[in-house]
Amino acid sequence: MEKKNNKKVIIKVSNLSKSFNNNIVLKNINFQLLEGESLAIIGASGSGKSVLLKNIIGILQPDKGSIIINDKEMVNLPRSLKEKLLLDLGITFQHGALFDSLKNWENIIFKTANKDKTNNRQGKQLAFSIIKQLGLQPEILDLYPSEISGGMQKRVAIARAICGNPKILLFDEPTSGLDPVTGSLIDQLIKKAVRTVGGSAITITHDMASVCRIADKVILIDKQTISWTGTPKEMFVSSNTKIQEFIKPINSEIFFK
Amino acid sequence: MIDLFLDILGTTGKKFINFVVNIGHFFIFFGNAIYWVFKPPWYFKKIFQQILDIGYFSLPVVGLTTFFSGMVLALQTYNGFTDFNSESTVARIVLTSITRELGPVLTGLMVAGRIGAKMAAEIATMRVTEQIDALGTLGTRPMQYLIAPKIIASLVCIPLLVLIGNTIGILGGYVIAIYKIGFNASLYLNATMEYLQLIDIIQGTVKAGVFGLIISMVSCYFGYNASKGAEGVGFATTSSVVVSSVMILTSTYIITALFFG
Ligand SMILES: Nc1ncnc2c1ncn2[C@@H]1O[C@H](COP(=O)(O)OP(=O)(O)OP(=O)(O)O)[C@@H](O)[C@H]1O
Ligand SMILES: [Mg+2]
Repeated sequence: MEKKNNKKVIIKVSNLSKSFNNNIVLKNINFQLLEGESLAIIGASGSGKSVLLKNIIGILQPDKGSIIINDKEMVNLPRSLKEKLLLDLGITFQHGALFDSLKNWENIIFKTANKDKTNNRQGKQLAFSIIKQLGLQPEILDLYPSEISGGMQKRVAIARAICGNPKILLFDEPTSGLDPVTGSLIDQLIKKAVRTVGGSAITITHDMASVCRIADKVILIDKQTISWTGTPKEMFVSSNTKIQEFIKPINSEIFFK
Repeated sequence: MIDLFLDILGTTGKKFINFVVNIGHFFIFFGNAIYWVFKPPWYFKKIFQQILDIGYFSLPVVGLTTFFSGMVLALQTYNGFTDFNSESTVARIVLTSITRELGPVLTGLMVAGRIGAKMAAEIATMRVTEQIDALGTLGTRPMQYLIAPKIIASLVCIPLLVLIGNTIGILGGYVIAIYKIGFNASLYLNATMEYLQLIDIIQGTVKAGVFGLIISMVSCYFGYNASKGAEGVGFATTSSVVVSSVMILTSTYIITALFFG
């Protein structure tokens, strides 16, 4: 907490509101992501976590508020500048959003392949060096996303996001649908990215064990806004009923740690 | 009663406004797409893939339809004009009908069904599964990467397909004229060559270019603006085929009127 003042603010969201027609999804959202910080966003299904992420990356336009990434205001930023800004971000979508007409390795190196003309062999090698950390076998590289399992797709999407070593990671439910062993591989990856590479991460997740492992700070979205903020440890002493509901299933697990 | 009337009026009004707004959106999309067609860098691999798909793989269906149309034309003309059935009448009618109208329109409709549906479904699926959003976050412009190659390839392929279709259609007429009706082959060929008009070829090619633009633009537009869910993909697909077919039949009239009207 004390360090907060001399750390760089990477993402700053202020007064963000978003609604669809008459359905108010987010109201007056305020938070910051600092350099070297791992932030977890939790909240019930349908609470607007993915909508928040999509606002941050400019896929959805907020009704109100400001989103500053690396000192640049994202809202109403000209397209070409926005694209440039997004290149520093490693993003995964909740449902993968892999390009189904491209092979897995082409998916993974898509961003870098656009910048420098990587040839097939180099590209595959690059893709392989990334999927190794995610517990994937090289055989999947030449397959299409539709030919691998859901959990594998999830990891290919993560590989695509971290290719090129972006400094900011934005992951929407990266561990959902993965077995606990693979899930913890992803957790380690996020932690490593934040601790050793000096990156910053926002992870949307329902997995409270994973929150405890990766997060420096937790944000709860409830009733259209941020209703609780704190560290994972503080969750266990919180009087917020929603937080209590969320941690109930894992309380005992932590006891045994 | 008045309530019902107002209700109907209200929904019709809303539908109409929606329609006008959609037309507006379409033209914005159209202008945007044209901009990206001319804007480097071009994704040549993508363009080549599309050319293969639109041009090469459409050859069988285009060949088959135009071949049979040529045959039918020859047969019908011969039966219908028995009073003065001659090599020159049949050859001329087959030639003119195919080059001016049937070649381009049948090719256009076939490609609209085959390629338009596929384009719309592909892009709509990418929209619905957030692949288009993902593209934008990976330093790639969806309009440039997805849409422009399809439009460029359509503009290249459909005129070529029409030229090939025309040739095959004329051949179909020839086959019937010689082997079924029993015309003299060299007389028939001479008549065909005599009536072959550059203006007809130009007109057919202009139509083909316009159809190529219609099919690719309409299909990409419906795909790109597909709403969420599987029905969004279905709606985009059927809409693109229906709308581009109607637009093909409308524009062929307009172009004919401009050339020969
Ligand atoms: N494109 C959209 N158009 C209209 N409404 C939308 C759209 N996207 C999301 N919503 C609405 O916004 C609300 C929040 O959706 P969101 O996907 O952000 O939930 P979530 O918190 O990510 O849930 P989950 O944990 O299940 O992924 C939902 O009520 C949803 O219906
Ligand atoms: Mg979500």
